Amino acid sequence: MANNFYPDQYDKTGVYPINHNYLPQQFADKDVMLERIAEVVRKGDFTLGSAVDKFEEDFAARNGGKYAIGVGSGTDALFLSLKALGIGTGDEVITTPFTFFATVGAIVTSGATPVFVDISSDHNIDAALIEAAITDKTKAIMPVHWAGIPCKMDKINDIAKRHGLKVIADACHAIQATYKGEKIAQWADISCFSMHPLKNLNVWGDGGVVATNSKSINDKLSLIRNHGLLDRDHCAEWAYNSRLDTIQAAVGQYLLDEKIDNITTRRQANAAYLDEKLSSISEITLPPRDAEKSSVYHLYMGKFQRRDELQAFLQQKGIDAKVHYPIPMHLQPAAQAMGHKVGDFPEAEHLANNCLSLPVHEFIEQDALDHMVEAIQEFYK
Amino acid sequence: MMRVPFVNLGAQFEPLADQLTDTFLRVCRSGQFIMGEEVQRFEQGLASISGTKHVISVANGTDALVLALKVLGIGPGDEVVTAPNSFIASAGAIALVGADIRFADVGADYNLDPACVSAVITDKTKAIIPVHLTGNPADMDALATIAESKGIVLIEDAAQAIGAFYKGRPVGCLGRLACFSLHPLKNFHLMGDAGFISTNDDELATKLRQMRNHGLINRDESVAWGYNSRLDALQAALGNVKLPYFSVWTKRFKEIALAYRNGLQNFVNCPLQRTDDEAVYHNFVVQVNEREALMNALSERGIDTKIHYPIPLHLMRAAENLPYSEGDFPVAECQSKRIMSLPIYPELTDEQVQYVIDNIVSLVKELKLEKVS
Repeated sequence: MANNFYPDQYDKTGVYPINHNYLPQQFADKDVMLERIAEVVRKGDFTLGSAVDKFEEDFAARNGGKYAIGVGSGTDALFLSLKALGIGTGDEVITTPFTFFATVGAIVTSGATPVFVDISSDHNIDAALIEAAITDKTKAIMPVHWAGIPCKMDKINDIAKRHGLKVIADACHAIQATYKGEKIAQWADISCFSMHPLKNLNVWGDGGVVATNSKSINDKLSLIRNHGLLDRDHCAEWAYNSRLDTIQAAVGQYLLDEKIDNITTRRQANAAYLDEKLSSISEITLPPRDAEKSSVYHLYMGKFQRRDELQAFLQQKGIDAKVHYPIPMHLQPAAQAMGHKVGDFPEAEHLANNCLSLPVHEFIEQDALDHMVEAIQEFYK
Repeated sequence: MMRVPFVNLGAQFEPLADQLTDTFLRVCRSGQFIMGEEVQRFEQGLASISGTKHVISVANGTDALVLALKVLGIGPGDEVVTAPNSFIASAGAIALVGADIRFADVGADYNLDPACVSAVITDKTKAIIPVHLTGNPADMDALATIAESKGIVLIEDAAQAIGAFYKGRPVGCLGRLACFSLHPLKNFHLMGDAGFISTNDDELATKLRQMRNHGLINRDESVAWGYNSRLDALQAALGNVKLPYFSVWTKRFKEIALAYRNGLQNFVNCPLQRTDDEAVYHNFVVQVNEREALMNALSERGIDTKIHYPIPLHLMRAAENLPYSEGDFPVAECQSKRIMSLPIYPELTDEQVQYVIDNIVSLVKELKLEKVS
């Protein structure tokens, strides 16, 4: 069985000169990155250790939260956060149906039940609809900063506070994002980040980070990502193994030290240019660009009429436009037991049917941007 | 003074440095970091070691156990039997799926004592997890007899036993599922956390492949909410470079163990080995009455030793809510006070091995230590 569902992202035939994937370009820095990895290898220091500690400290400083904890993946970040708060069987967690599988997977595998709330025009959970979904069983809200656009965190936190709920933000797309001028992880009890190879700040395999301001949550997560070990021989509680590999922390550290500011500002500049050129096309609906939200554009996503046709047209022109994602969570085969049907979350469904993401990463140059804009203009002419 | 460190990962890296570095670069240039051809090829290579139709690579050995229990539908209300002298993950995985941990005492071979297992089986017992501790296979035939009569599943915890054989069959194919670790301190290891599950069961293999990757059947559809527990392609690629050396390294573990046994068996308690098994000696464990004295004296002579493990699992703080107390597993408890592990890895030189033997022999006499049984 083929395990890899992203073959075209790795196409090296040159069919897609404007790619979503930027890993080959990133690898231009290989010598300096390999030197950092070599330091880890020389020490034989492959699990946790000082390289991970340093990375966590710097990651927290850049994303908000007094503490950061490196874990195995963004999925594990979400799952372990739920576990750290004691959320599980019998509990409900409110989230959005317009997200990646991991958000819902983490809730379900923790034993809790996901309760979906539709999205608003910013593609994120509609804060105005959250209260209607709260029950006696609700323990947490899990907003997703989809595509790197921060959710309306002031409203969400206000609701959470009034109902005594925790906020676990799925910030897998939102490294370095800010909301109302503050770093994104300041806006939730726990924020969960992914460093999967296709994320803004990526490592060379699976990796994730949890950020929090709470010392007790930090201590708990540090324990449960590493077998519940207090030291080599003492186990305080039965727990998981979900560590950020030390060699991956070295990759992440390099990008944090040298690249992430450029990655973020380049993505933002590319997005601003696309906004300028595309917002006047009536067949395209972009999410509102609120001044209080600083998006980091993990994806540059909008609603495009005749989406499938446009995608095929762009791909012919060498533009790797993608759909993230065509089937919302409540309509997945995995959600069958939840009894949802088409029409339950109309905004999410409408977005799923119309969304398209254009390559926006830091290696997209001006000529590529112009090529994309011209192609789209030509299509809708 | 000669130095004999307990582990020396650099010594394995050096001779393969060029090959490993080239492979590393090749994977990085391809950008194929998640799943893909290297992972599939590595799984096939591992399947030839475990003697099974399927190998499903996962993020680590703990996840292998958790996913194995999950895929069998084991959870709250179920009981799972395992050994109290293992690494935490063996018992931890049972608790993590919501099932109840039931310990059974071990025998002189450090593995589950089938008679003790029999005594703790109830109507709720759904699985037994025998741990092939130190790389020495548990008595699978005796355990299979107990399990089969009651419809109980055997899940091998082979985290320390890759390449070991039991009555001519490789560990990994002796139960319904087997769980392995490729953590950097294991006999066959990668450069970060890594693990795998082996099985001959097609249906379980398909489900496990979905469970480790969000339940995905293609890019856009999930059939069962799942986990993210994938072996990094980079690690798999390094594993593919190392696989051809696996049998050479395994042979060397056995050679060193034999040298230790021949040199030490008259002075300290050496591991038992059933003649028809082939243990792979993840650890070479000896027992003496005054363990700390010997460990300290060896340390002064440049020889590192460790204890695997000093506190049995039922006496951990994590086990506070379990119905166990000191004295419940006398064999495991007694062993935990006397065992010590000697350095063992393929890169140890004959001189280092002899140095360890000579020093233990002279110290046993000097410190008037007693071999215990």
